[in-house]
Amino acid sequence: MKPKRILLPLAGAAVDADVVRLAALIGKPNKAQIEALHVIEVQWNRPLDADLTEDEVRAERLLEAAEEVGRSVGITLQTEYVAARTAWSAIVHEAEQRNVDLVIIGMPYRRRMGQVTVGRTVQNVFLKAPCEVIALRDRAVPA
Amino acid sequence: MIIRPIVPDLGERRPERGRRPGERIVRIVRPKSFRLTGKGRYEAKDSAYESESGLGHAFQRVRRVLIGRALRSEAEALERVSKKVGLALFAPDNITSSAYATEEIMRVLVLAGIAALNLTEPITVAIIAVLAIVIVAEIRVIHAYPQGGGSYQVASENLGMIPGLVAAAALLIDYTLTIAVSTAAGVAALSSALPAVHEHRVLFAIGLIALVTLANLRGLRESGLVFAGPTYLYLGSYFALIGYGVFLMLSGGLPSYVPPPQWLGSYERNAEALTVLVVLRAFSSGAVALTGVEAIGNSVPAFKKPEPRNASLTLVVMGVCFAIIFGGLSFIGGALDIVPDPNEAETVNSQITRTLVGVGPFYYVVQGITALLLLFAANTSFSGFPRLASILARDRFVPRQFAFRGDRLAFSTGIIAVAVLASLILAAFGGSVTRLIPLYTIGVFVAFTLSQTGLVRRWWRLRNPHWRLSIGLNAFGAAVTAVVAVIVAVTKFEFGAWMVLIAMPLLVALFYGINRHYRAVEDELVADPDELRVEPLQPIVVVPVSRLDRAALRALSFASGLSRDVRALHIDDDEASAKAFQERWTKIVPEIKLDVVTSPYRALLPPLQSYLDDIDRDDTRRPITVVLAEFVPRHWWEYALHNQTALRIKLALFFRPNTVVIDVPYHVPPEERAP
Repeated sequence: MKPKRILLPLAGAAVDADVVRLAALIGKPNKAQIEALHVIEVQWNRPLDADLTEDEVRAERLLEAAEEVGRSVGITLQTEYVAARTAWSAIVHEAEQRNVDLVIIGMPYRRRMGQVTVGRTVQNVFLKAPCEVIALRDRAVPA
Repeated sequence: MIIRPIVPDLGERRPERGRRPGERIVRIVRPKSFRLTGKGRYEAKDSAYESESGLGHAFQRVRRVLIGRALRSEAEALERVSKKVGLALFAPDNITSSAYATEEIMRVLVLAGIAALNLTEPITVAIIAVLAIVIVAEIRVIHAYPQGGGSYQVASENLGMIPGLVAAAALLIDYTLTIAVSTAAGVAALSSALPAVHEHRVLFAIGLIALVTLANLRGLRESGLVFAGPTYLYLGSYFALIGYGVFLMLSGGLPSYVPPPQWLGSYERNAEALTVLVVLRAFSSGAVALTGVEAIGNSVPAFKKPEPRNASLTLVVMGVCFAIIFGGLSFIGGALDIVPDPNEAETVNSQITRTLVGVGPFYYVVQGITALLLLFAANTSFSGFPRLASILARDRFVPRQFAFRGDRLAFSTGIIAVAVLASLILAAFGGSVTRLIPLYTIGVFVAFTLSQTGLVRRWWRLRNPHWRLSIGLNAFGAAVTAVVAVIVAVTKFEFGAWMVLIAMPLLVALFYGINRHYRAVEDELVADPDELRVEPLQPIVVVPVSRLDRAALRALSFASGLSRDVRALHIDDDEASAKAFQERWTKIVPEIKLDVVTSPYRALLPPLQSYLDDIDRDDTRRPITVVLAEFVPRHWWEYALHNQTALRIKLALFFRPNTVVIDVPYHVPPEERAP
């Protein structure tokens, strides 16, 4: 795997920092361009260009935190956020638009009815992304 | 498609098509230099502070090398210090007075002959007694103002504005003189060990002040570790020296000291009578020992909890350490019959050390650590003066610039101001500690007296538990310091104290005048409740045009957007070219009214100002807006060749009432730049 362009969808979860570090590990030897993307999911009962100030402030913070992690591991992270109805669709759209070679997506650790579950976003990105996808699952939380 | 709102925000929202039919995504393009923190609120990022021009960038790099990277405001965290570290941080100013207090007493007594030096010890005891009284009184200040009350605050709150300003003036003078005296004394300690320094002592001293200034502009925090080592080495060295001296005294093994015969001859030849005045002068010279006592009281919040108790204990320890060193040096100096060097090339402390232990490694350690700690003492004033000046700026008694914190969270204006003043004073007095001392102590005692008196008033008002005892202590403290202040003022008047006595009321008058100005301006600017609204004004816009070029057209286009009433003004010294300009104008810009004025005396500004006066007369409610086209050359060194006329117009119109001047710069587009 020698990706030249890597996309990191970040949701502001604890696993984001590990996603950035993994991207650095894979991308640095290939001098890959690494881009972080956050998707603000806008509920259907609101217009897409509604006032999203609170979400945007949160997005700024989590992307800056990711940039800081990137600096600590020696990469310059390009960051951006978009507003969309569904996160997975926006992520796949961006992956197509930007011609990325690899998507690394964080997977928060979730259990439902005794089973570890994969969320809708990760599932759909896995199935529909036009490139390779690595899903990095967060550490297990002790029961 | 890009949606552009009527009033553009920072950043942009770009709707785009999504993956599936009918799906949309909005791409939010963030502003490069700002971070969103709330609705309509942004924080400037580091990139907002970066210069875009090559020259500006180079200047920033030089600044960064000298002063360091800029610090964010929240970086200023209050670090709590222990008593041990507190002693190292806040005591040097007082403790280092022991480096020259004994000598200053001797220098006055010896004017009445060598025998008069026997009074050194009793005067030392008297000064230590006064120090003890001041420390006891200062402990009351610490407990009354655990948030850190300087004499200015105590006097202002309890005695009123003018006494507060007197205390502030006294303190500012004292801080400045502390830097001058401490640096001069440090250089004197150095020159005792390295005689070559003595000839260039003023230059050395100013160089050291410059170094400490730079360190403070870099925001040198009084790091406990940096200060602790030298402070405790100073204490240890002098305790060891005094202990050894006392041991030799008691064992009868004190070495003999023989001063150069020319010194003795010089003093005996010029001896005056030993009078009460001489004794009082000697006392007031030695009273420098009491400077620096307020440093701990001003820094109570910096101590670990319980802050007042820890600060008080540190103050007592400081006083005891100083008393041991000062008393020890005076008594050993007396036992050795030390005579001060009339040329000021070697200090009394150096003579004592040299006589006791010889010129060996320990001697150089003592001299070196004395010089270093005196620099630290000067450094205390580099934070005291700017901090007090910033408080005065907040209260609008000094220009607001003194409240500004620079890149490194230091009060840059105050630091530079005190450095310049101290350097000037030091140079004016030839770098001589003896010549500076007469100016030094008055400010301290005036400030002490006012703060003690303020406390008396406070206890009387509050009637806390033990208020009678508190009043007694502080009243006694105030009386003692007032007496000392009068003694110093009278005995040192002709030697330089008069300068301080004149400077203090002048400073108070200056502070008062500045405050009155700011209050008057505030009255002028503060809007009444019925004025709190924005009413659009239709300005009369005048565009002076000398040539119809791209810069002028840009200015005219801008002016047309400001108001419906726009007129161009062309001033020419030749009738024929004025007419030709008018004809060309009619063809190119007929929609904008043009007035042409021929100036037979070839001047530009008087006809322009008269023109503005005439149109202003018609309707004084409407502001006159002068829109100036300015050509921006590609390179900074070309600036001198352009825009001199625009600059002259701006300067001429700056003080004109009801006039707004707007620059419309025209930058050469990149594609037209020469390869």
